[in-house]
Amino acid sequence: MEQMALTAPGGDHSLWALFWQASWVVKLVMLGLLGASVWTWAIIIDKTLAFNRMRAALNRFEEVFWSGQSLEELYRSLSERKTAGMGSIFVAAMREWKKSFEKGVKSPISLQNRIDKAMDLALTREMEALESRMGFLATVGSAGPFIGLFGTVVGIMTSFQSIAASGQTNLAVVAPGIAEALLATAIGLLAAIPATIAYNKLTADAAKLGLRMEGFADEFSAILSRQIDEKVPVRAAA
Amino acid sequence: MKAGLSTSLALHALALAAGLFTLSSPRPLELTNAESFPVDIVPIEEIAQSVKGDKKAPVAEKPAPVPTSKPDIVEDAQEVGDNKIDLPTPPTPEPKPRPVETAEAPPPAPDPKPTPTPEPEPEAAPAPEPQPVPATEVAPKPEPKQEVKPDPAPEPVQPEQPKQDMAALPDVAPVPQSKPQPPKAQTARTPDRKEPEKPREEKRRETASSSDSNEKSVEDQVAALLNREKASGGGAKRSEQQAALGGRQTTGAKLSQSEMDALRGQIQRCWNVPAGAADAENLKVSVQFRLSPSGELEGDPRIVAGGGSGGIERTAAESARRAVIRCAPYNLPSEKYEAWADVIVHFDPRDMF
Repeated sequence: MEQMALTAPGGDHSLWALFWQASWVVKLVMLGLLGASVWTWAIIIDKTLAFNRMRAALNRFEEVFWSGQSLEELYRSLSERKTAGMGSIFVAAMREWKKSFEKGVKSPISLQNRIDKAMDLALTREMEALESRMGFLATVGSAGPFIGLFGTVVGIMTSFQSIAASGQTNLAVVAPGIAEALLATAIGLLAAIPATIAYNKLTADAAKLGLRMEGFADEFSAILSRQIDEKVPVRAAA
Repeated sequence: MKAGLSTSLALHALALAAGLFTLSSPRPLELTNAESFPVDIVPIEEIAQSVKGDKKAPVAEKPAPVPTSKPDIVEDAQEVGDNKIDLPTPPTPEPKPRPVETAEAPPPAPDPKPTPTPEPEPEAAPAPEPQPVPATEVAPKPEPKQEVKPDPAPEPVQPEQPKQDMAALPDVAPVPQSKPQPPKAQTARTPDRKEPEKPREEKRRETASSSDSNEKSVEDQVAALLNREKASGGGAKRSEQQAALGGRQTTGAKLSQSEMDALRGQIQRCWNVPAGAADAENLKVSVQFRLSPSGELEGDPRIVAGGGSGGIERTAAESARRAVIRCAPYNLPSEKYEAWADVIVHFDPRDMF
């Protein structure tokens, strides 16, 4: 006569049950990582849209700039509305140019310096706006797995402690605690992988856009320098 | 940023919902009941539950008292023992040499008596004493000390006795001199003389056995050397006594832990625990059922324990019974049929809720 005890077939193994069974430390880690993941994706979507907008704006501006329109007209039309990218660099340079000529130019070299500085400042501001919040992606990408691992280690520790307390080593007793602890690492990886990929992609894109704007600034600086050379001696002579 | 955040939140909600639905009930692994390497904890019952016998034998307290006779007596058997085959293994010597020595000691004791009798001189007594001491009693040191102590004690007595005898009977002087000497020799010398003679006897036996073995062929000798089995007692079952009622195997078959798990899993799949069982503590049900060698259910499963009067308890018991019926036929190792022919399964829905 063979006798055996039959326990009920497995309990609830859903995601929610796994989360709910976890200790508060692991819950905190999971919630934090979930929040990080949400914020990461928000940044990724936001940056992607912003970069697309910026690229379109640069293309449009370049088209207008090289269309042969007079710079005065372009400045008048741009200064009235919000500008981004090359437009703001152009506006900053033109504003400095205008201010200098309204008060009379003393030295062409200092004017050139001021215009360059204004353009540099505008470029820096643009780059800052482009690269804002990218640090968060880098942090999540590098620290996310560690945070998840921390949750897993704590979870496994507590589950082993409870196993020791219950005195049962049945696999059915051991497995749920470990699965629940591993969920923390899973969420950490889930947050970290997109963050790392997006960080690399967005950094490269931002560098490309920044290079384009820098190139425009140099070009515009050269044009203005030619203009100064043409205009200042005339005015000085007059 | 708002658009990005809201989109991200929406996406996460979607992913979590999908995860809840797809990961909510991970499908249990479909395991075939294949035991690649059966590992089991072997309890002592495996040996203690020795049930070898004949299944067709009538039930009896003791086998029929037919006088035991040993058939198949090998002709020209040279060896002694219960073995069916004539094994040239020498009977393993029983390691009891010392008690035997003490037992054999008395017979030689009378022998030395005649030899000392011709010695009339008292001086002869000390002469044999030194001889046995180096020959036999080198190892046991306490014995020589004991001998030395009794020697001086009787010696002072010896001179006194002859003096008294001499005083009483001066004519028969030689006779009393010889008479008191043997009793002294018996007390003091007999233990010494017994011991030197024993090794001689043993040597004689050894030489006799070696001369016997020389007659045998070399192969037999080698086989005898290699064979460390006891020559007697290892024979096949040759008793004519009727076999007792029992199983076909020597030991009681037992399902291994993994085989039990397999049966458990097979029943578990079909078990629908009754919903709405609030106090699951009292819902333990034990079901007994018989199985045919093909794994089919034989007869109706019987509820052995549990399934009380309450409505929920009865439904729980019924659900357990239904699970057993629905899952038949069971896939179990056929060579252990005797172990699972009659099974009791305890259903415990406590972990269900």
